[in-house]
Amino acid sequence: MSETSVLDELPGDLMIWVLIVSELLVFGAGLAAFLSVRASDPVGFGAAQDALYRTGAGINTVVLVSSGALAAWALRLRDGAQRGAARLALVVAALLGVVFLAIKGFEYAGKAADGIGWDTHPFFTFYYLLTGFHAAHVVAGVIVLLLVAWKDAPRNIEAGAAFWHMVDLVWVILFPVLYLLR
Amino acid sequence: MIRDPLLRAWGTLIVLSLGSTLISLWHWPPGFSAVAGMLILTFAWLKARVILSYYLGLNAAPFWRRGFGISLGIFCLLLLGLYLLPGLF
Repeated sequence: MSETSVLDELPGDLMIWVLIVSELLVFGAGLAAFLSVRASDPVGFGAAQDALYRTGAGINTVVLVSSGALAAWALRLRDGAQRGAARLALVVAALLGVVFLAIKGFEYAGKAADGIGWDTHPFFTFYYLLTGFHAAHVVAGVIVLLLVAWKDAPRNIEAGAAFWHMVDLVWVILFPVLYLLR
Repeated sequence: MIRDPLLRAWGTLIVLSLGSTLISLWHWPPGFSAVAGMLILTFAWLKARVILSYYLGLNAAPFWRRGFGISLGIFCLLLLGLYLLPGLF
């Protein structure tokens, strides 16, 4: 007789879900701390936030969610035995990750040119910490996507795409809190 | 109408992302920033739900989809409370 657990309902490996929840908790704590500190100086945080390039970050959101769609598509293609198309979708998803990093790089370079550093204001301490940590995940995600495009077993693609969706998921919460809440 | 669920999810994410950016760029009259904040965080919650349901496949696991949805909803309410806190004092 086989016993089924509610954990068995989760798509993919259980460990990738443990990772997703862990990352959400870490970034969630960072965002809650950011808004808590903001409560003591909303005017200063608002002025610092105005130095951010909101439109660029909005474009980056479109880039990242499009990349996520391609990663999800890749798994569907691989399940349909379309290996070549799946690999292409993964490589394009990784390239969009590189585009995200390039836009983020321009954003950081612009801040540096304006003399804005992590210690300019507490807002920028959180900004660099949270976006920098997220960007590190994007770098890891690009490598993972290319790796599963090479070793393209369906189970590998499912795990790699899930990691990439986690990066997406963190960004869609981080972006509005840091860039949009005025 | 787009029939492919994945394509529909992607389109929804694009609309919600651009929508929240436009809400932020809009010049709201004084006293209405709370409304903008509420809309922006509601859009963030909806985007997270779309990613969990369609990209990560939780549509096939209703128990977990509901659990993640409720947890993220509570978290967004916490963020909204912290965002509105300075206006209360």
